[in-house]
Amino acid sequence: MKTRLPDHGPVEAPRFWRTLEERVETPEARQAAHDEFLPGAVPAYDDVHGLPPQSGVSRRDFLGLVSAAAALAATVGCDRKGQGTVVPYTKRPVEVTPGVANYYASAFQEGRRVYPVLVKTREGRPIHLTGNDEHPGVRGKTSPRAMADVLRLYDPDRLRAPKAEGRTLGWTEAEARLHGALQAAKATGKPVLLLSGAVASPTRKALLADLKAALPTLEHLAYEPAAGDAAEEAARASYGQSVAIQPRLAKAKVILSLGADFLNGEDPETLAAWGAQRRLKSAKEPINRLWVLEGPLTLTGTNADHRYPVAPSRLAALAFALARELAAKGLPLPAGTDLSALAAGFSEGVDVPAKAWANLVKDLRHAGRNAVVLCGAQMPAAAHQAAHLLNAMLGSEAVALSPAEPLATTKDVEAAVQGMAAGRYAAAIFWDVNPAYTYARAAAWKDALAKVPLRAWVGLMEDETAAQCQLLFPENHWLESWGDYSTPSATVLQQPTVGTLYDTRQGEDLLLGMLKALGAAPAADYHTYLRARWEKAVLQGGTFEQALHDGLVKGDPKTASPVFKGTSVAAAAGRTVKGSEGLELVLFPGFAPHDGRHANNSWLQETPDPISKMTWDNPVAVSVQDAQALGIQEGDFVTLSLEGTTLRLPAVIQPGQAKGVLALALGYGRTTGGVAKGVGANAYPFLGLDPTTANVRPGARLTKAGGRKELSRTQSHHRMEGRDIVRSLTMDEFLHHPQGHHHQPELVTLYEEQKFPDHKWGMVIDLAACVGCSACVVACQSENNVPVVGAEQVAKGREMHWIRIDRYYEGELENPKVVHQPMLCQHCDSAPCENVCPVNATNHSPDGLNQMAYNRCVGTRYCANNCPYKVRRFNFLEYTAYKTEPETLAYNPEVTVRPRGVMEKCSFCVQRINDVKIRAKGEGRSILDGEVTTACMAGCPSDAIVFGDLKDPKSRIAQLVTATRAYKVLEEVGAKPAITYLADLKNPVEGGHHAN
Amino acid sequence: MHPFDRAFRFVLPAAAVAILVTILSVGWLTEPDRFAKGYAPEQPIPFSHQLHAGTLRMQCQYCHSGVDKSRHAGIPSVDLCMGCHKVTKADRPAIQKLARIAQTGEPLPWQRVHTLPDHVFFDHRPHVNAGIACQSCHGEVQTMKVITREMGMRMGNCLACHRDPHAALPPGSKITRGAENCAACHR
Repeated sequence: MKTRLPDHGPVEAPRFWRTLEERVETPEARQAAHDEFLPGAVPAYDDVHGLPPQSGVSRRDFLGLVSAAAALAATVGCDRKGQGTVVPYTKRPVEVTPGVANYYASAFQEGRRVYPVLVKTREGRPIHLTGNDEHPGVRGKTSPRAMADVLRLYDPDRLRAPKAEGRTLGWTEAEARLHGALQAAKATGKPVLLLSGAVASPTRKALLADLKAALPTLEHLAYEPAAGDAAEEAARASYGQSVAIQPRLAKAKVILSLGADFLNGEDPETLAAWGAQRRLKSAKEPINRLWVLEGPLTLTGTNADHRYPVAPSRLAALAFALARELAAKGLPLPAGTDLSALAAGFSEGVDVPAKAWANLVKDLRHAGRNAVVLCGAQMPAAAHQAAHLLNAMLGSEAVALSPAEPLATTKDVEAAVQGMAAGRYAAAIFWDVNPAYTYARAAAWKDALAKVPLRAWVGLMEDETAAQCQLLFPENHWLESWGDYSTPSATVLQQPTVGTLYDTRQGEDLLLGMLKALGAAPAADYHTYLRARWEKAVLQGGTFEQALHDGLVKGDPKTASPVFKGTSVAAAAGRTVKGSEGLELVLFPGFAPHDGRHANNSWLQETPDPISKMTWDNPVAVSVQDAQALGIQEGDFVTLSLEGTTLRLPAVIQPGQAKGVLALALGYGRTTGGVAKGVGANAYPFLGLDPTTANVRPGARLTKAGGRKELSRTQSHHRMEGRDIVRSLTMDEFLHHPQGHHHQPELVTLYEEQKFPDHKWGMVIDLAACVGCSACVVACQSENNVPVVGAEQVAKGREMHWIRIDRYYEGELENPKVVHQPMLCQHCDSAPCENVCPVNATNHSPDGLNQMAYNRCVGTRYCANNCPYKVRRFNFLEYTAYKTEPETLAYNPEVTVRPRGVMEKCSFCVQRINDVKIRAKGEGRSILDGEVTTACMAGCPSDAIVFGDLKDPKSRIAQLVTATRAYKVLEEVGAKPAITYLADLKNPVEGGHHAN
Repeated sequence: MHPFDRAFRFVLPAAAVAILVTILSVGWLTEPDRFAKGYAPEQPIPFSHQLHAGTLRMQCQYCHSGVDKSRHAGIPSVDLCMGCHKVTKADRPAIQKLARIAQTGEPLPWQRVHTLPDHVFFDHRPHVNAGIACQSCHGEVQTMKVITREMGMRMGNCLACHRDPHAALPPGSKITRGAENCAACHR
């Protein structure tokens, strides 16, 4: 589908639109809106998996042969053997009852961020993750990537035994080689390099200190390539130390984001606070206001009340100008701040219209302590420092600063590379890091590393760095390991929830072995080491067993809040002006792979990017204006070049992206891993070596490279004809006309009214609280064994997700408003799918579920064609049968794994409903409100999804469905959906309808 | 004879009979009840329910302890057997085999007698908690020396009882029907 942007002037267009094709109304888009399946989604019969295209057998012959063979097999195969065996435990663990899930508290770390989680295990194997509800911060919520990480435990690419020079060997032998090198280094006094991820664990920190004491020449760098060097640099400049910045949105009335994507799903605590402020019952309740200035369109930008596209290099100047105006309005400047330095590089009314600017200043001034300025980790250091200054001036209570373990920036890694090249190190150990891939100058890295005599690697899956090392130590997955983390409100304990699947050890145990070899006398294993430290320093009278149960020990580690240094401002303000030719390239961690560590996770690769809806790829996002100027169309291959580095990759046109800005996700283009290899392009070579602006690179050039790529993008599917699908209200509209011009249609039906004797399950989705983070998609995938289909199949519109997030644009191409809408089976009372099924495979249950019997389905796809919501997914090919252990261990045993030729869709997690029902019945009581949670509801960090019994008048959901914002999607069709949506809310300064 | 005559008089009837015979024989042979009933495979340990549940009157739930807590009734773990058999009849070859398994931890592959297809999610809990006797579906287990399948375990068997459960329920039970919707068992 080719998209030509309108050449000039405004076009008559639908109010809400989802793709550029739809906005400019190409004939193809109009056709696609009519069809359930994309062209190519419904296969020609030869095209079906298993039949070679030119087999020479006609379909009729084939069917004849198959039925004859089946009849023969049926007569011959009538054998009572093969009922299988059932093997009991020899010694049953006390807490395990086969068929009953156990839950254990543990924790997951990604960069500096820690996710306390609750691990659901069945017969000893972890199958599903949610947040730990005991933790006062996250309260039962976690991130999409954390939830998906259970799949990595069962990744068939995991290294299963130690290796040296490609040969598998035992731990003793492998360790002996490493220990020998370390002992020699200690004797000669030569330095040893240890590169690891961020240290968020107090016990790991203590262990590293022990190791440093035993081996004084140890040089340890905590390396997080996607954490944003600029943030680290800025914190050191502003506060004189590394600082962890945690927004406290519960206290925020006005939020200004300088390219900060704090609603991207990574931070459940912030999302919970956001959701709580946005789930309004009445228009008189207080609501926050979000101002966003950013280059690329982020999830936070899509949820903004006011958003202005601004190139990231200009953010600092804007923010300093804001500080100057606020100072002029009487806000105190921190001691030592030089006001005159703040004037540079700002011209009024260029990026933000003058009126909006005045409103922003007024908003911030008015909110004072309840205002907060947040800056994106990837933004230049000067912008961070401006944000720090603004928060200090406002005295913001909506952000918590705490000292953090320092991270190595590219400058530090660069120094290490030079050291390696100079032959300084006796040995180098890489623990859970992949610098051969993430370091910007890969060739220089390789040459330098080759000069280190002993190179050891510790990790889960052989990666680019492992290929350059001699000794490979396979590490436990975190679900097989002990650990602990400090978080602001509690010290979190990580416990293994499964025994080691392979001959692996956790990295800390390797460190303990090194300590022993170096002459220290440490604990026998890390469990003992950790427990001893906990009993001494953490437990404070509590028991370790209790901590294991809760997964944490509450307590606020009293640390002095870092103090802003006013004297740092002048230097930062001086860095704001930068004239540059060409485009500005912004490099950000990809939604799915993060910095590349999750690239081998197929659940994440197939979860559509919340904005671009791309799967399995990282095209470069180009602004509408630049695409027009360069003649680029969606999917065109382009050549991106910057300082001698060039990359050929497809382009997408991103509405709302600032003019002159290119956005490209990191973490793709891996060269190892069964899933990750060859997916997307590696953007790390573009990363700058100047840590103050490593992720924002001016001077990029973009040219058409010729050719197009069929994008594996989900957003063009499931269109809904520009009807009244999403509703978005301003606060004024909420107060006066919550239903606006929409009137309740009078529904006439020919069908008999459904009767619900006991329960009527329903759902309410609050679009005002939904930010579009896609946590629900991953939660559902894990709970319901939703298959992954791959890039090629997604491009054909065959993705299998039971819940998707539709993203609607509204308004101008250059800066549209955005509404996210989770869309799943609506469990209609008069379901159009049920009436057309020729075999009655889908029908209604007496508790209001639209049930789907897979074993009855013959795959006519009539139901999908007749579904107004386009939520039925068909198994066009065999997506699951080829799977073997260990992959199959990640399945939820309570849900059927569907074969080819079967229709499937959201079941409202009927396995959970049934389980609660049976338990309640066994205990002789009725089901409590909130007792049944669907996976999407449990996974939703902003509590936008509420599930419950509509027949229980006291239930939370029964009250929500009567809200004034409530509406049903396509109510006029008369399907009577069981899902009620609450209209999105925006809180712009002028309460009128989206003043634009 | 005209070729059409031949076709109508002989070929068509013969073809019809052949098709009918094929359909009937395939149907008869593939009827699961026909084979499932009476299925009594040889088990790795010749365990007698007649002795344990019949003569010794042991409760079913003593060994199948998951039945009121879990979807699965569960097969007792080997250490549960050894609770008694460490002493009881320790000289029998079968018990010695059991003791060896308990010691070495090697798998004890009991042959499945009652199975359901993978798309059926039968749950023991509501049935047992409603007071339905194990024998209603599993037959008079306490009289079986070798455990034998008495019921076809077809959907018809389930539905017959769900539509009219009074025969299986204890006297005085208030339950009149079982669930008949698809998602009760298929999901």
